[in-house]
Amino acid sequence: MFIEDIKNDFYNVLLGNRVLLLVHYDVDAICTCKILQSLFKCDNVSYTLVPVGGIAELRQAYDENNEEIKYVVLVNCGGTIDLVDILQPEEDVVFFVLDAHKPTDVCNVYSDGQVRLVYKDSEENIPNFDDIFRDDEDEENEEAENGREGLEALVERRRERRAWEERRNTLMFNYTQFSYYGKPSACVAVELAWRISRCGWAAVWAGAVAAAAQAALHTRAPAAALLDADHLTRHLPAEHTHTGSRVSLEKDVNLPLYRRWSLEGALRHAPALAPALRLHTVAGQTRLRQLLADTGIPLQQARQAYRSMDVELRRSLLTALEAAAPKHKLPDPTHTTFLLHRVHSPTLAATDIVYAIMGLIEHETLPRAEGFQYALSALDTESGDNEGRRLGWASAQRALEAVARLVHATLSARQLHLAGPFSYFIVQEGTAEASIVRGALWLGVAARWAAPASAAVLASAPAPRAPGHCLLLGVPPRYQHEPRNLFGAAFEQAATKCGASVSLDHVDTSVISLPVAQRAQFLDALTALLA
Amino acid sequence: MFAEKVIELLKEAERNPVTIDPFNDDKIRQIVEEMHSLFRMNMNDANATMENKTLWTTVQVRHSALERNKRCLLAYLYSRMVKIKTLRWEFGAILPPDVRELLSDDEYEWFSKYSTNLASYMRSLGQDIGYNGIDLTENLKPPKSLYIEVLCMADYGKLELEDGDVILLKKHSRHFLPTSECQTLIRQGILQQIT
Repeated sequence: MFIEDIKNDFYNVLLGNRVLLLVHYDVDAICTCKILQSLFKCDNVSYTLVPVGGIAELRQAYDENNEEIKYVVLVNCGGTIDLVDILQPEEDVVFFVLDAHKPTDVCNVYSDGQVRLVYKDSEENIPNFDDIFRDDEDEENEEAENGREGLEALVERRRERRAWEERRNTLMFNYTQFSYYGKPSACVAVELAWRISRCGWAAVWAGAVAAAAQAALHTRAPAAALLDADHLTRHLPAEHTHTGSRVSLEKDVNLPLYRRWSLEGALRHAPALAPALRLHTVAGQTRLRQLLADTGIPLQQARQAYRSMDVELRRSLLTALEAAAPKHKLPDPTHTTFLLHRVHSPTLAATDIVYAIMGLIEHETLPRAEGFQYALSALDTESGDNEGRRLGWASAQRALEAVARLVHATLSARQLHLAGPFSYFIVQEGTAEASIVRGALWLGVAARWAAPASAAVLASAPAPRAPGHCLLLGVPPRYQHEPRNLFGAAFEQAATKCGASVSLDHVDTSVISLPVAQRAQFLDALTALLA
Repeated sequence: MFAEKVIELLKEAERNPVTIDPFNDDKIRQIVEEMHSLFRMNMNDANATMENKTLWTTVQVRHSALERNKRCLLAYLYSRMVKIKTLRWEFGAILPPDVRELLSDDEYEWFSKYSTNLASYMRSLGQDIGYNGIDLTENLKPPKSLYIEVLCMADYGKLELEDGDVILLKKHSRHFLPTSECQTLIRQGILQQIT
């Protein structure tokens, strides 16, 4: 069931009750959690916050914390699974689901008030209730009738039923064949904060980071992402805070973390530009130097920390890169992003925070739950640097370097295998990169980096927590323009076909884990399925 | 000289304005003896010299010395009483044995009566609005907020709150709890306050 009024039907219901907040490990969920936390703090809603990584963890977290809890808020998890079936809750427990993962499970959509979906995306084509659910009463008294007419009626009913079932299967197939992301949950949370007149800069900033995450990770089509940003700018508070920080939407160079890196370093590791430079070839290295020459930035300047670069060069960077990029057939090196201007502290770009949070929740040494706590503090808007951001940036730089090394090695050793409708590559266990590129987020960055134009790519890496298992994720073709992912459904079918013991535990269905021994078999089945 | 001892007593007490000293039983007995002797001498002189008025000055001097002793003793006792009152707010209803030794029996009796009075007052507070009492000793200044955000640092297990809710304290989970419930756990290092 969808909620009509986000304030009265969602937030006001929670007031004065204990709330269990289950948050998925992703950038959008963490931003949403930050906003909700600040709202709960204002209204003294006591809550328990548990980060969850997958469906099994979700169930465990619910089982451990469900005592005396009547309201559960799920952020970016649980929307795509039948919650009532999986969690087996008491009758009076209410789940509020704020999930950007789509398609939403139809059982949640048509739940009778126990599962309440906070936001309805207009893109979702949810099948009608009558088309997918049907009372099976008539089956029982089928045998009661006899005689010629009864028999005819029976046959007629059966035929009708078969037709209905067929129609239902097509509908359900069309509905579930693609997995994709809807409006970022954090944007919905900003909307909520705005409705209850508590939309400060911190909330808008968190929303901006979530929007930037969807853009940076290509989980949302560019047009839709632009609309999300537009919604956010409408909610910008009128006055400055006492700390003087403010958020603005600006054109910025599309390089990750370049404010903490050197310009050359950022160019080499930018997921948006570096693939086009083809840096694994000798020509690629020359191309990079030529690009820098065209922008008029001396190598010495480009190699030192960006913050120590000549001020004139820094100022002209945007226009110079924009002018030089088309010459080298590079994609547009600029993008529109949110910036957080702070007093007496360097400006922060929302994209940089996205990478910091990714670096924290998929840190090479830090446990995920600890990284989650740092990630929450990385979203703070006050002046100065904090531990979370520092750690995150350092980790993100290492991870981007590892991704670049990995992709270059894969491409130059021709390890990107073509298997019919898709290509795939495998991160070998034991390599230095495998210890960093092992989570779904960084592996996704690597897969998109290695993806040839308009072809699907699968990437596989040893799974971090289960020895002998590996992670497999799929990137759809033309992911920049149409991020709908067909691999979720395809993985599921391939798994049933080849009988591999695949674990579909991830909330994002296009990520699965399976035993390494069965990987080849699974890929064969998938090739046969998609051919 | 008269009233010398009592000044010594006060000076001693003054040297230590914050904490409480042991009750100076010995000195107080000496002062009281001095007061008794002064009183006796005055009685004798007053009875003997109903007609002889030359001794009246002496009697008056002795009397003012007596009065001074009395005032100083009361001041001593009063300052101790104020300190004992703060003890109740700092230590709670039960004193640690080393502090208990510093008090005289009468003082201790006063302390227990004060303690019961305070407790019954705190119990009566806020009954009209549904609370059963407020612990005034908990926050000496009004707290900024009734709830604080805490991060769990260790697997502690279940914690039952005052209102009957049970929460599970597991490592890396965050909670937003009433301040009063967390203070001890924060002190034990199981919870960490997030500012």
